[in-house]
Amino acid sequence: MPERILEIGEFAAGYCGRLFAQTGQDVVRIEPGTPAPGWVGRQASDLYLHAGKRRIATRDRDLIAALAREADVVVAEAATADELTALGFDAWPTPVKVAITPFGRTGPKRNWHATPHVLLAMGGYTQLMGDPDRAPLSLPGHYAEFQSGQYAYVAANACRLADESAAIDIGMFETLMSLSQFTVMQWLCKNEIRGRHGNELWAVCPSSLYRLRDGAAYVNIVPAFWDAFTVFIDRPELLIDERFATNDLRMAHREALQTVVAEAMAAMTRAEVIARSEALRIPAGVLQTLDEVLEDEQLGAREFWQSVETPGGRAVRSPALPWRVDGTPYPPLRLTEAERDHG
Amino acid sequence: MADGPLRGVRVLDLTHVWAGPLGVRVLADLGAEVIKVEAPFGRGPRDIVDTPLGGWLWGDPGTEAWNRNAMFLKLMRNRRGLCIDLKAAAGRATFLELVAGADVVIENFSARAMPDLGLGYESLRAVNPRIVYVSLTGYGSAGPYQDRVAFGPTVEPLSGLGSLLGYGPGESRCTTMALLDPIAALSAAAAVVTALRRRADTGRGARVELSLQEGGVSFSGPWLLEHQLGGSVQPRGNRHPAMAPHGVYPCAGDDRWIAIGCADDAQWRALCTVIGGDLDPDADLALRTAHHDAIDATIARWTRGRDKHEAATCLQAAGVPAGPVNTAPDMLADAQAIYRQFFVPLEEHMPVPGNPVKMAGLTSADWTPCPKLGADNATVLRDWLGYDDTRIDDLQRQGILADRPPA
Repeated sequence: MPERILEIGEFAAGYCGRLFAQTGQDVVRIEPGTPAPGWVGRQASDLYLHAGKRRIATRDRDLIAALAREADVVVAEAATADELTALGFDAWPTPVKVAITPFGRTGPKRNWHATPHVLLAMGGYTQLMGDPDRAPLSLPGHYAEFQSGQYAYVAANACRLADESAAIDIGMFETLMSLSQFTVMQWLCKNEIRGRHGNELWAVCPSSLYRLRDGAAYVNIVPAFWDAFTVFIDRPELLIDERFATNDLRMAHREALQTVVAEAMAAMTRAEVIARSEALRIPAGVLQTLDEVLEDEQLGAREFWQSVETPGGRAVRSPALPWRVDGTPYPPLRLTEAERDHG
Repeated sequence: MADGPLRGVRVLDLTHVWAGPLGVRVLADLGAEVIKVEAPFGRGPRDIVDTPLGGWLWGDPGTEAWNRNAMFLKLMRNRRGLCIDLKAAAGRATFLELVAGADVVIENFSARAMPDLGLGYESLRAVNPRIVYVSLTGYGSAGPYQDRVAFGPTVEPLSGLGSLLGYGPGESRCTTMALLDPIAALSAAAAVVTALRRRADTGRGARVELSLQEGGVSFSGPWLLEHQLGGSVQPRGNRHPAMAPHGVYPCAGDDRWIAIGCADDAQWRALCTVIGGDLDPDADLALRTAHHDAIDATIARWTRGRDKHEAATCLQAAGVPAGPVNTAPDMLADAQAIYRQFFVPLEEHMPVPGNPVKMAGLTSADWTPCPKLGADNATVLRDWLGYDDTRIDDLQRQGILADRPPA
């Protein structure tokens, strides 16, 4: 029997609710009075996040409290800790309650306001993206919110699995810091502040996005792939060049190496990169447009796309959940209009 | 080991690099009992060749460098370690005995690695029909790309993100931080709890499959839908299609920046109050968007002479979303992170990023650091399988178990 999930909030709660809805739970979403500004239009956002949910447009706190009383899980997202408290979150008797706020429910910044790009800046991401001689680049989209939604989903399900009641507090700032690659380690262990290097990973060489004759491709040559890579770019003589014998040496002589690699890659086509990387088992990936992603051969073969229907009856392709249990594809979904007040 | 709601869930962790270990760390932080199953060479060679990405613990490789890779240690807390040769028949037999008593097996090898070892899903299910088997590959275990070698950075260009991140049209950039790995990591943890709950209802195990590609494309979903609906999708630098101003501005000092954004008219008016100058507090979003360049210039004049932390505090006091572009030392010194004890002094007291899931009963006080290679060989085999010392010594003598990389 499906569990009853009550979803309140925007993109983090919305993504968490999406996971619950896609896995067969009965999700009721409370639509906010004033939608937060998203990266895409409302219809695209709703189709992606809210298909398969029941939606109620209400600001009636008594109604929300009544729904919370009947729910097995509440996922509530608010702009600040105080706004979450004002919703009545603490009074709800729901067995599992998840609060998602920018900075968590405690601490001196619990009521700081944040946009996703403010969180990405504070969480250490923005410092790493873009060119060294230009302003740092912020990551577009809802990464902070979606990842917080994933944490919320995992924690709530863990509690339901254990049949334990819980009030869970997730701060998106901490979500981001918890998922950092090696930024903090590099500082503590190498005394280096990780910075921006265009498209280069900068810890492995060569690792960058290279121009091709007809596009671009990323190659990431961690040490185990160096020997084969010299064949991949038709420069086998690099293998006996002492400047490039180890990754540390390749980093030390990266400018010379990058010149050679960029020149070799520029002579290749996308098709050649794909064919050679498959033959020589080189980690490489060609840059795709959104149209190419939608037509991607692998995604098509794996029946990755899910049909989602607009309230007007138009069907579009949406990414299904990023995991598959026993190979079962996800069924088509429909976005319904939000009901007003007494849904 | 951590306590938490996943206590009693037994996980065999065969993952490596980033996505897999990070996903398992999420489960371990929530109380799962995790055995890290690794090959003798799984942490690199005995002799140092290269410096690892995050360096050596406290900068010192010591005499056992393979046990001091800082990035590896950060990911591998709250586990016990079993170093076993799965290429040997006796190693595989022991592993299958462990599988019989496990709830979850998770790996992120290439699609053909486990089947080639004779340890594919069907083999594991034969000894434990209730097992949840999780396979996290670059592109999936079937399909035309199944054998492509993949890392997060090489799959990212296939995710659609290249159409979005950049200084503008024609100036795309990559994240350079393998962003698809942490996406897949959390999806893997989510998939595990989903499958465990299904098993609790049905009694059935499951084969769960994820790929870096599908995780990345999933996060690009809103743009893929917008594109199909005819919307404009392109790199916008640091601007936002529905907020203005929205940017990253220079502050006092070398390479110091602050992110500022106004999500509504009230925040815009608050910004005008703080910054003053020629900003019009009555300008609506359309007007602000039309004059974004001029607004940016005024904001930058205000931020340029100010410390990034002080500027953020000043703007936040007025209700404007703003935050410094933090470096690692900034995050370690952040008052909020300190108050919530986010960083945990774990590996020889070196702080590691903590768990963002806060709830009663979850504490980092019971966390255990990453085990040394093979440190728990005997205790795992004794506790899980009831092996006696003679049998364990025998496996050690045969080289099936190890506690150091091969010479």
